[in-house]
Amino acid sequence: MSTVIARTVVRTVVPLILVTAIALLLQGHNLPGGGFIAGVLTATAFVLIYVIYGQDYLEEAVFHRTPVPSLEMFRHGILEYYRSAFGLGLALAAASGVAAIGFGEPFLTQTVRFLHHVPLYGEMELASALVFDLGVYFTVVGALLTILAVVGSE
Amino acid sequence: MARTVVVAPMLVALGAAIATLLTRRFDRAKVGLSLAGGIAYVVAVAALFAEVGTEGILTYQLSGWGAPFGITLVADALSAFMLALAAIVSLPALVFAVRYVGEQGQQVSFHPVFHFMMVGVTGAFLTGDVFNLFVWFEVMLMSSYVLVVFYGGGPHTRAGIRYVFLNLAGSAFMLVAIGGLYATVGTLNMADIARRLGDPVTYGVDPAPVLGLAAILLAVFALKAGLVPFQFWVPGAYRAAPAPVSAVLAGVVKKVGVYAIVRLYFTVFGVGTVPGGLGLPGLDGASFLNFFGPVLFVMAVASIGVGGVVAVARDDVDELLAYSSISQVGFIVLPLAVGATVPAVRDLAIAATLVYSLNHAVAKGLLFLTSGAIYEAVGSIDLRDLGGIVEESPTLAGGFFVGGLALVGIPPLSGFFGKMLVFDATARAGADLALGAALVGAVLTIAYFSRAWNRGFWGEPSEAVAEARPSGVQLSVVITLGLVVVAIGVGFDPVFEAASRPSNSRR
Repeated sequence: MSTVIARTVVRTVVPLILVTAIALLLQGHNLPGGGFIAGVLTATAFVLIYVIYGQDYLEEAVFHRTPVPSLEMFRHGILEYYRSAFGLGLALAAASGVAAIGFGEPFLTQTVRFLHHVPLYGEMELASALVFDLGVYFTVVGALLTILAVVGSE
Repeated sequence: MARTVVVAPMLVALGAAIATLLTRRFDRAKVGLSLAGGIAYVVAVAALFAEVGTEGILTYQLSGWGAPFGITLVADALSAFMLALAAIVSLPALVFAVRYVGEQGQQVSFHPVFHFMMVGVTGAFLTGDVFNLFVWFEVMLMSSYVLVVFYGGGPHTRAGIRYVFLNLAGSAFMLVAIGGLYATVGTLNMADIARRLGDPVTYGVDPAPVLGLAAILLAVFALKAGLVPFQFWVPGAYRAAPAPVSAVLAGVVKKVGVYAIVRLYFTVFGVGTVPGGLGLPGLDGASFLNFFGPVLFVMAVASIGVGGVVAVARDDVDELLAYSSISQVGFIVLPLAVGATVPAVRDLAIAATLVYSLNHAVAKGLLFLTSGAIYEAVGSIDLRDLGGIVEESPTLAGGFFVGGLALVGIPPLSGFFGKMLVFDATARAGADLALGAALVGAVLTIAYFSRAWNRGFWGEPSEAVAEARPSGVQLSVVITLGLVVVAIGVGFDPVFEAASRPSNSRR
């Protein structure tokens, strides 16, 4: 069982990691960052909870689910969440590429729009690459957590 | 306007993989989508094949970035031929797998992984860039790792680990060689490499290190193709994988290695010369191909010999087929070796390689599926347990017979022309040694197939065979592929025309 120090640290660190991950995800298309590294960071946040508080805590308190035994998990457990995230992420990334074909451009072509006079924010950039990054993000999070859940429960 | 038809086969395979991944829990929908994806893949490849036939070389810049900076896809006659080969083998294997891979296996992501493997194969055939070739190899290998250890038993894991380690080492070498290539040539786009190598002085390229790096790459491609001395992973992996997967591994994935050799060494590195000669003992000439010719020759002859001799003594049908495919890849590479050394027969040699690749893909696919159907019906593929299959199931015996004869090279079948072209190319080049090796190989092929036939198919039905109940779907897949083997042989003219187009357009 983990110490008080570890539990307290994790409680502060996890939100920080998640915010950093989101920041990396949003700026990824033209600054260092991107869907992959954001996904890895997010997975790290889950891993911290998992290591310090245990997998059951993750399922009960974070996802509000009833934990099931490890063999059952393959069919009904939290794995289903992770694997759906994985599949949907891939679908999103592929769809963002195919969408370009719909506009008569080559597969994976990206574009960008600038919004001016946004309240508080001023100028804002809307990049289609973000959709692709989001797909990568979900794929990475789903895949890493699937691996962790399966290996961890063995 | 971008030509979507170039990227279509890849997108179809990717779409099928994602769709089957999302419908994982709905068994019927998943199988339906998977089969639809397989059929759509064949349609997409056929469309691309037709387009390449009329338009010649098609290029496609992914995401609209120009070459040599962006990711380029190139579809020419060579890619189209190889894609057609992949499509012809993968669809029957997929249909077969629906009945062969058990319910639990289908739940454990068989279909997505199979389609991801096809994504990798398609990408490798289409890419116009050496680094992306590496990426597609990885996509293909990652999926094939899963498929090799699919059953998860002891022997499967052992074979899988060997397969994974050898290929990881291969990938590491490939990456190092590609890095070196980029450092020396300054580009990784295949057309750009060829241009710079053709005029090394203007571009400041030193050809000697490029030759060495190309030699490292050759070792990697030989590993993927299962050529001696890199053949160790082949028998274990083919035995461990489910039969339809073995059919695709032997029929298509191996050919990716062969394709890479044809593509890179004959169109890209082939233009390179080392001023002042190679400076290696026993090798004359200054062209890169003067070096690769003898190297390929030794590998090809060793593969024909080792594969053939070992296959004669195997009792397990899958193991026999695996060793046989080592030997057959020797046959595929032999004309390349001759063509590299003797420029006069180079075009014929490449056509011979392609025709033999197609023949091997279809015939070996047929044989692996037949062996899978026998395993399903009889419960064993050990020749000691088999016997008299001709009486119990003439269709299965027929499938094995047609596949075996096609590899031996009997006239109405696809193998006859493949063998004939190999002999033709070597004879015209005056390569007596190669001709002799090919003859010995052909005799060995006859030896191991007639032994398997005598022991497994003729004679009194054994106990296990007498109770055999072959599945209808599997039988019809075997019949269909058998007919394809016959059709390629009977209607050989268009096949030969398609196979000689790559070398004609090379000029």
